[in-house]
Amino acid sequence: MNASLLNPFNITYPTAVQTSLPSQASLARFDPSGRFVAAGRSDGSAAIWDLETHAAVRWLEGHVKGITSVDWSQNSRFVLTSSKDWNVIVWDLAADFDPPQRSSTIRFDAPVSSASFHPRNSQIILVLLSTGDAYLVDLRKHHRGRVELEEVQEESDEEGQMASPRSAMTTARFDPTGKHIFVGTSVGSILVFNTRTKTMVGRHKVSGAGLMKGFDFAKSGRRLVTNSSDRVLRQFNLPTYPPPNADREYIELELEPTHRFSDPINRNAWHAMSFSPDGEWLAGGAADPATHKIYIWDISNDGQFASALDGGREPLIHVHWHPRKPAIASTTNQGNILIWHCPAPERWGAFAGGFEEVDENVEYEEREDEFDIEDESELAIRKMKQEEEEVDIDTTEDLDASALGDHLRVNGDNEEDYAWADEEPDDDIRGWKMKTVMEDEPDML
Amino acid sequence: MQDLQLSAPAPVSEDAPDAVRATHPSGSSPAPSAPLPPGPPPQPANPTSNDHRPNYQLEYILSGHAMSISSLKFSPNGSMLASAAADKLVKIWDASTGDIMRTFEGHTEGVSDIAWSSDGDCLASASDDKTVRIWSLDAGGTVRVLKGHTNFVFCVNYNPRGNLLVSGGFDETVRVWDVARGKALKVLPAHSDPVTAVSFNHDGTLIVSCAMDGLIRIWDADSGQCLKTLVDDDNPMCSSVIFSPNSKFVLCSTQDSTIRLWNYQTSRCVKTYTGHTNRTYCLPASFSKTGGQYVVSGSEDAKVYIWDLQSRQVLQVLEGHRDVVMAVAIHPTRNCIASASMEKDLTIRIWCDEAADASR
Repeated sequence: MNASLLNPFNITYPTAVQTSLPSQASLARFDPSGRFVAAGRSDGSAAIWDLETHAAVRWLEGHVKGITSVDWSQNSRFVLTSSKDWNVIVWDLAADFDPPQRSSTIRFDAPVSSASFHPRNSQIILVLLSTGDAYLVDLRKHHRGRVELEEVQEESDEEGQMASPRSAMTTARFDPTGKHIFVGTSVGSILVFNTRTKTMVGRHKVSGAGLMKGFDFAKSGRRLVTNSSDRVLRQFNLPTYPPPNADREYIELELEPTHRFSDPINRNAWHAMSFSPDGEWLAGGAADPATHKIYIWDISNDGQFASALDGGREPLIHVHWHPRKPAIASTTNQGNILIWHCPAPERWGAFAGGFEEVDENVEYEEREDEFDIEDESELAIRKMKQEEEEVDIDTTEDLDASALGDHLRVNGDNEEDYAWADEEPDDDIRGWKMKTVMEDEPDML
Repeated sequence: MQDLQLSAPAPVSEDAPDAVRATHPSGSSPAPSAPLPPGPPPQPANPTSNDHRPNYQLEYILSGHAMSISSLKFSPNGSMLASAAADKLVKIWDASTGDIMRTFEGHTEGVSDIAWSSDGDCLASASDDKTVRIWSLDAGGTVRVLKGHTNFVFCVNYNPRGNLLVSGGFDETVRVWDVARGKALKVLPAHSDPVTAVSFNHDGTLIVSCAMDGLIRIWDADSGQCLKTLVDDDNPMCSSVIFSPNSKFVLCSTQDSTIRLWNYQTSRCVKTYTGHTNRTYCLPASFSKTGGQYVVSGSEDAKVYIWDLQSRQVLQVLEGHRDVVMAVAIHPTRNCIASASMEKDLTIRIWCDEAADASR
């Protein structure tokens, strides 16, 4: 709502640190509304920070070892934490108290390296274990189950020969529609699974990439950027995947990156990367041992390097772009979360009524009738006439409704996948409010 | 209430602590054809904008406050009515029966404004004792005292999420508070005269304030930067300001007996409402959408005025109070208006238009 009054000429990536949240975090993610940040800590606890008050409002204490990932449901009611203690916990922030209620705990037999919610239904959870196996966990009553995602092996010519050992899965993400799961492997391939059938529908070899460390999608879901052990970020345009068929056919396709991003001077590796909400900028968090650097590339301008944000001496370990604004959360190895923003210059002209600031002197040309003395009654009548016009005090252009989800449906997707995901919807209704819990104030009363 | 503090305490006429069911006093509810007061808007009525005229009738008279009542607010779900007065008390009334539910004591000076949190669990009050107090209905008392203002606090409001409070006062500042921790997050040197009203827009990204310096200012809630200043040519003192439900306009009443609807994007006044009297006190103007689209305000001639939002005509005048109608509240769902008056009267009256309720 404030956007229309703010300066429209803002550059669209953040440039300065607005605040630092001392949270002993090892990673931090904005929620889809951009009002909160979930911070996972290496001691196993997690905190929800309110960005309006810059204060921690909820503490999620349930893990006994370090948090490896956090994720938010689409309307921010549920938070997921995965941990090295072999558990994934889903928290319900709608509870009236702190600490919030645990809505479910999912146990595995190995440390969990990452977990995420299905974008449309928080009861479908993708989990990656440190053993290199990925599972799709479904908590819905009628679909309840845990399915391992299995790569289809090439058939070997000789009978009796053992198939080559499976490559380990090293990263796993839903695409923004939730229709597909993308899995990166230790041998530099990208596997694509259909979420509903859990069958593989595509496999991409990326030559020279080495082990896949992470993925991020532009919001449209058509572009993917990968982080791999060769210290290069690659952006790919994704093909359209056919619906799964009975023969379990899949696309085998080598993908050529449209852009490659790397640090040519220090040859730094990347801890994480994140697209801007419009997908026009990419932020890369450099794994520089001595400084806190975020590289920004301009995707719409052929991937040109735009800027390197310097966040001081504490090395960076995680980075995440705000879902709506030119803002970034970057985590330092000391556990501080830096919130980057785009400072708007103070416009002093705003303090005067009917005042306009100009950048340069302009010759003022007075209107023909500007200083004419008008008959007051005529003036009043004209004003009355103008006030006859109807005003609309009720309708808002609700940007959120159109911005979420539905525009992703284009591209000839079959509805079946969405219908499947929307069965037994979670309780994550739009417009729920987190209750403000008053901290105890012993020095009062 | 600064103005109130100056006058001697009002004599408490017949102690009637509990609600009195009004026996529909024939004289006190005006006929719909009440003569229009002298004033400009004699435009032809727009037939499409209002297919029925409001017909509010007196339903209850509540009394309990011992000094001038400064503010009334219905709770977000409409079940309760909160009132604040110069007698330092905040009272909660059952909106459907008119019974008193609770009296909050704690302020050491008169209370000028109150606001409900969006969940209806808490209430914030602004007082001449320079503090804002947050009251919990569950706990039945004060849960926070926000200290920082260096002079009377005159106005207070929650943001829609209920995690921030904004307050303004005679120290000419606007302060944004963290509700959970009770700390001031921002102190905006907002105006050069006492701040008379301040509130958030519907998504909490903007703050609007107005002051006796005659300026309306719009602020970015996140950065605290001033984004816009609106001022009328004659620079009258501003009594109250609120955003329209969609936050595209602000409704501001000024002490030249005028209420204006501003399009703040274009800095133009798009509607002017006149007919009432407002020269001395800060009388708030409100939108009503439960029946038709109305603008409602109290008046210093002891009446409540209801205008048609679009045609700017006075549609109904509620008569019955015996002193300045300082506070007016609009029920969020039912077609009801609550009004309260100063020391010669000291009653809260609830007016309902049941025909409009039934026809919806």
